[in-house]
Amino acid sequence: MHPGNQNSDSGDKWEVQLRKGCLELAILAALWGRRLYGLEILRQLEDDSDLVLSEGTIYPLLSRLKASGLVASEWVESDAGHPRKYYALTAAGEARALEMAAIWGRFSASMTKLLTPLAKGNR
Amino acid sequence: MTMTDEPQQKIEAYVNRLRGRLRGMNAETAREIVEEMHSHIVDKVAMTGGTTADVDAVLAALGTPEELASQYRVDDLLSQAESSRSPVRILHSLFRWASLSFAGFFVLLGSLFGYFLGIVFIGCAVLKPFHPRTTGLWVSSSGGHNIATLLHGSGGLQPGARELLGWWIVPIGLVVGCGLIVLTTQFAVWCVRLYRLSRVSTHGREAA
Repeated sequence: MHPGNQNSDSGDKWEVQLRKGCLELAILAALWGRRLYGLEILRQLEDDSDLVLSEGTIYPLLSRLKASGLVASEWVESDAGHPRKYYALTAAGEARALEMAAIWGRFSASMTKLLTPLAKGNR
Repeated sequence: MTMTDEPQQKIEAYVNRLRGRLRGMNAETAREIVEEMHSHIVDKVAMTGGTTADVDAVLAALGTPEELASQYRVDDLLSQAESSRSPVRILHSLFRWASLSFAGFFVLLGSLFGYFLGIVFIGCAVLKPFHPRTTGLWVSSSGGHNIATLLHGSGGLQPGARELLGWWIVPIGLVVGCGLIVLTTQFAVWCVRLYRLSRVSTHGREAA
């Protein structure tokens, strides 16, 4: 394999891991103070970020968050003629979101500081 | 078949395939998953022109029913394995996982071997007081170590075989046997977790 391609592949892999790692916090943030159904969460994430690589990964993740007690769900009848499954944060989910947001704030501040020379193009 | 029926039939076929692939999971959980995905597909198609090509695009964005189901199933296996910590429940999950992938098959083989060895050690410890002459750890004349007959009278000891440990096989067998069972359980849970992470990553890369 060409060394350049290999670098690009590891870059892609790193980006996928990074997005995946942020997806849980992004979902908890999207649900902050409101309840949404799956497609609304997806639209929210697509509008505000490019975190979602595949729609198929969101629903199993929501189910995992529910199993961990971070979100609760309920079926609500809709005008569309079929029920929709709405998700909302539980108290544990709110606490987890706040905790993750605080970690994210510290982490991103220190990374931004470290990356300052790169942003200026210095070597 | 009319054109208006075709998109509907495609949705039904997708949902039915998903339902089939979720078999073996808790029935209520599987029903909720199918209903939620059906609701997602219908809502998303309603935002488009509702043609066959639109339905194809909506279904493609979700991945195949097999990919979708395997994400739920592996999560289900992991949560069962994690919540129980019981070797019987874990083996039950591993048998189901082995039917889903080669990786699961090899983890099942490794785990069966670990549990078998653990049970043999515990069996030796338990049977030693009842059959002291034929139960224990022996060195055969060829130099290889083996655990000799667990049941009195079954098979014969090789001539020149020498017993190691003696009565120490009772505490050592119990400790090593229980240790092997705990380690095998942790190994199985670790493999399932690693597999789940790698699957989500691969799926994301394909869709990127």
